[in-house]
Amino acid sequence: MNGLEINDLSVTFKTFRLDATLQVPQGCITGLIGRNGAGKSTLIKAIMRQQEEMSGSILYDGLPFKGNEREILSKIACVFDSPHFNVFCKAEIIIKFYRKIFSSFDMELCRSLMEQFSLPLKQRVRDYSLGMQKKFCLILALCQKPSILLLDEPTSGIDPYDRGSIVELIQQFMLDETHTVLFSTHITEDLDKIADYIAIMQEGKIDLFEQKDALLEEYRLVQCPYLTEKLQEEAIGVRKSMFGYTFLTKNREPEGEDILVKSPTVEEFFIHFLGEEEQK
Amino acid sequence: MHIHLSLQAGSIYEQIEYQIRAQIYSGELKPGEMLPSIRTLAKELTIGIITAKRAYDDLIAEGMLYSVPGKGVFVAERREEELIQGKLEKLKEKLSSAKKFADENGISPEQFQKIFWEISEENHERS
Repeated sequence: MNGLEINDLSVTFKTFRLDATLQVPQGCITGLIGRNGAGKSTLIKAIMRQQEEMSGSILYDGLPFKGNEREILSKIACVFDSPHFNVFCKAEIIIKFYRKIFSSFDMELCRSLMEQFSLPLKQRVRDYSLGMQKKFCLILALCQKPSILLLDEPTSGIDPYDRGSIVELIQQFMLDETHTVLFSTHITEDLDKIADYIAIMQEGKIDLFEQKDALLEEYRLVQCPYLTEKLQEEAIGVRKSMFGYTFLTKNREPEGEDILVKSPTVEEFFIHFLGEEEQK
Repeated sequence: MHIHLSLQAGSIYEQIEYQIRAQIYSGELKPGEMLPSIRTLAKELTIGIITAKRAYDDLIAEGMLYSVPGKGVFVAERREEELIQGKLEKLKEKLSSAKKFADENGISPEQFQKIFWEISEENHERS
């Protein structure tokens, strides 16, 4: 089953148009990457029903929104790129507020996570560091006990240690196989590690959706001092530097002199994949 | 069970498979012993769930592990003949790839056999 099934979702915002179809498998982590302005945040907002004018359909754990509003809104939780509440309030006030809104809010879990990550309850969220704020937002989302968790840039701008904690919280959430995670990020290193699927967005469209392991196994990253005709034919997203060429290829055993071949990382795949699109 | 992963050492699922296999052969993992769930393995190693599943699925297909729905994944019983049979299969695989190399590089079957015997004799003398 799919945690999210997005069909012909269309949102128009000034000159920008989102036109997305995407199946996000349940029980898995899907990473959403794309350049700034590609429409990642718009897509996440649309899934959270925060876009006023949208067409197309979204199924949540198989349920359409219409007629299941209450159930779905308690199923989904989101961590936006910046806090969606008054940061001048103390953390405990915000928690109290969330507890009132969400009947399912798990106070016990909240207390233990706040303690685990040493987040002071009596401090204003504004006075938290960026890493603390991100962790606080994620804790608030997790304590709503959702089955679908959406994350918009959960790990950007924070140090590797805090990023590790956030990745761990996400994986903890995934211990339940009925859960689904969709997260957008520029930190592709996190995706290299924990993502099961990768979706690439460009100009409001989903350009590619594939299982991460399969994707990285299908392609090779090649570095070579000069391009032969044969290499050129197979090359995807060629980048030239003073010392030669770097590109992707589907040929798992490319041949040439002084050639270096390895599996790409998500970042390398992304750069050359987009490079190829731009050249077209 | 213990597993350490290196980003430089090839694909993650192969590293896991290799290490679990080695621990079963060495007796460190005992028949009937329960392994962590796929999701726990993914979390503890900070890897994808599908990657963890792939490693277990491959080992189940090989007969090294077996899964009981709703219970978990366990180390399979190994009989001596099976162990030997497994190793023979592996050897056949290795020799097949050597033979393929010979064919592709114009080495005749006679030359191939000659080299094969030379190697066998050498090792025999050494031991």
